[in-house]
Amino acid sequence: MSRKKIAVIGAGVIGCSVAYYNAKEGAEVTLIDAGDIADHTSSRCDGNVLVSDKEPGYDAGLTARSQELLDELSRELDYDFEWERRGSMLVMENELEMEMGKGLCRRFTDTGIRCHMMDRKELKEREPYVADDLPGGMWFDDDGCLYPMGLCYGLADGLKRLGGTLSLHNAVTGIRCENGGFVIRTQAGEIRADVVVNCGGVRAPELGRMVGLAIPIRARQGQILVSEQSFKVARQKVMEFGYMMAKFQNGGEYKRPVTEDMEKYGVALVYEPTGGDNFLLGSSRYFTEDLHAEIDVMRAIAQRGIRFFPVMEHIKVIRAYAGIRPFTPDHMPIVSDTEIPGYYIAAGHEGDGVGMSAITGLLMSQLIAGKKTEFDMAPLSFRRFLQ
Amino acid sequence: MARREVVICGGGPAGLAASIELARTGAKVLLVDENRRPGGQLFKQIHKFFGSREHNAGVRGVDIGKKLLAETEALGVEVWLNSSVTGVFADKRVAVLREGETRVVEAEKVLICTGGAENSLNFEGWTLPGVMGAGAAQTMINVNRVLPGRRVLMVGSGNVGVIVTYQLLQAGAEVAGIVEAAPKIGAYGVHAAKVRRAGVPFYLGHTIIRAEGSGKVERAVIAALDNWKPIPGTEKEFDVDVVCIAAGLRPTSDLARMCGVRHVFVPELGGWMPEHDDGMETSVPGIYVAGDTAGVEEASTAMDEGRLAGIMMAYRLGHLTEREMREKKEEVSGRLSALRLGPFGERRMNAKRRITEGRA
Repeated sequence: MSRKKIAVIGAGVIGCSVAYYNAKEGAEVTLIDAGDIADHTSSRCDGNVLVSDKEPGYDAGLTARSQELLDELSRELDYDFEWERRGSMLVMENELEMEMGKGLCRRFTDTGIRCHMMDRKELKEREPYVADDLPGGMWFDDDGCLYPMGLCYGLADGLKRLGGTLSLHNAVTGIRCENGGFVIRTQAGEIRADVVVNCGGVRAPELGRMVGLAIPIRARQGQILVSEQSFKVARQKVMEFGYMMAKFQNGGEYKRPVTEDMEKYGVALVYEPTGGDNFLLGSSRYFTEDLHAEIDVMRAIAQRGIRFFPVMEHIKVIRAYAGIRPFTPDHMPIVSDTEIPGYYIAAGHEGDGVGMSAITGLLMSQLIAGKKTEFDMAPLSFRRFLQ
Repeated sequence: MARREVVICGGGPAGLAASIELARTGAKVLLVDENRRPGGQLFKQIHKFFGSREHNAGVRGVDIGKKLLAETEALGVEVWLNSSVTGVFADKRVAVLREGETRVVEAEKVLICTGGAENSLNFEGWTLPGVMGAGAAQTMINVNRVLPGRRVLMVGSGNVGVIVTYQLLQAGAEVAGIVEAAPKIGAYGVHAAKVRRAGVPFYLGHTIIRAEGSGKVERAVIAALDNWKPIPGTEKEFDVDVVCIAAGLRPTSDLARMCGVRHVFVPELGGWMPEHDDGMETSVPGIYVAGDTAGVEEASTAMDEGRLAGIMMAYRLGHLTEREMREKKEEVSGRLSALRLGPFGERRMNAKRRITEGRA
């Protein structure tokens, strides 16, 4: 039997991973993108691979498995994508958040995640620069960060090594079903494939419409500030507990003590150190496709950073950038087949694309090869949006 | 949030001229400059300007600067000094870092006239202390009154290279020579003749190969070029402690890019620059450019482009009638054309015409 021909559309971190794992599975893979590798969201993001910002259970489980796969990938790929597991922490702003955190912590440990609550003393010992009034936090042992563009390039390079093809700067203009397969119309001519995987991220709905599918993904913008080269304000990822509320919009009755702009733009502290000691500071969540950083949002992010790390007041911001996350209505990605045989979707990871890229690639290769998947695919199914 | 009708980013000749034109019509203008005093590069220009009487021919740049400053003061133009424009955001909100705090000013029109930046050259040893832009050396001697070194090698024979050479001599430095890759001198004859008379040799068809020294420049090596490649065996060594690079300027248009202004590549005017119409408005309505930001030329053209932008903004804001605008625009445009006459100006004139007619 001849090898399965798979066309993966979208060379962001999800597309690169899906292409790589399918090539590893033995398929003949072509990775197509209108631009370059990591041209859009995957170069306008941070490099988190965190359990600490997931819901305990399935969601966190996917990420924990992704972390294991990244350990393997960092040995397997020829490209150093700076994967490091330094742990991560959530910080609480008040006693009420500490109480809510304890409940969350129990739910994590019950599902096998290594984490624990920190009192003020432990928090200060780990991170001396946090604000003095913070009551404590939560520590996660296994979380890590990587360099997203590096991961994309590493995977694309791995794909080539496995005999795959890169078709970059080649926009897809149409997809036609023919003889049980697909003919993909591109700027550079037609590409034939048995299987199409839509990894278009925020552009996934366009690629869906080409075959008559309505994919409910919207652009949810986020902005990040880049500091001047300074020092390790904190040694690993630090997020405020309220980040989860900004992300899932599920704070319930609890309202964080934040300004109007912070509320409006979904601003919550996310700090990420980099190798060069220019830290990245986020985050914001706002529904727009606009790719410009905006002063109101930048200011709110900076103020939120200073709230948790007062020393930041003395550190300059040298750059700001915006990226758009592919948002789905229930915050879970779509990693699924569809009613069109051979047409698959791997998109809609919102802010977890980097974190879930490895497991998404693996699951998609298992799904396409007709193997048993490592996780139940129902929560990721495209059909959940069809009711 | 503070509001002004116009925010002008950059208080060089273009910005000062624009602010005067606007203030005369009663427009509410804010001029922002990151330096201790406005004037841009004018205060470095201790030589007399060329051109016609309207263009202050025979007047030194520094005196033109003083005159413009006096006029802005008399008109009560609001000026923020030591203040950096860090960004122009949606709805023309201009972020200004002032006294350690970011202030946001909402404007109806924004003029971006942030000047140009010197091009660098890469060669072995180009990062050694002592290698600097010719403009930097000029600032040191004419503004800060500090000699950059004892003996200088100048790379580039355009007006900047040759004028700065002369001023270095006046300031008491030695200039070992002027190196030019092209087969002929780039500067106006009158400037070149002056340095030649002072005994400075020109090395035409030569380029710098490397700068050497332990921790700072102690020597520089040049070589003759054949078809832009160094010819082995033609190396000449100079004992110098400064290498000045006068390799031209390029428009500084980061703020315009941030606003989404369409850029075009125009080699005659320094490379990538914002597209604009014959009233200095860019592809983004309400965002104007003038001076070197709108294509590298001279201080005289910068002032007239600033005036032109000022007139057009004043008209759009309702401070000038159409007739007044037309009269003023015609006068300034005529002067700009006159400035771009002659063998040196013609290329720039043609380039400007290509841009304003949307053919660049």
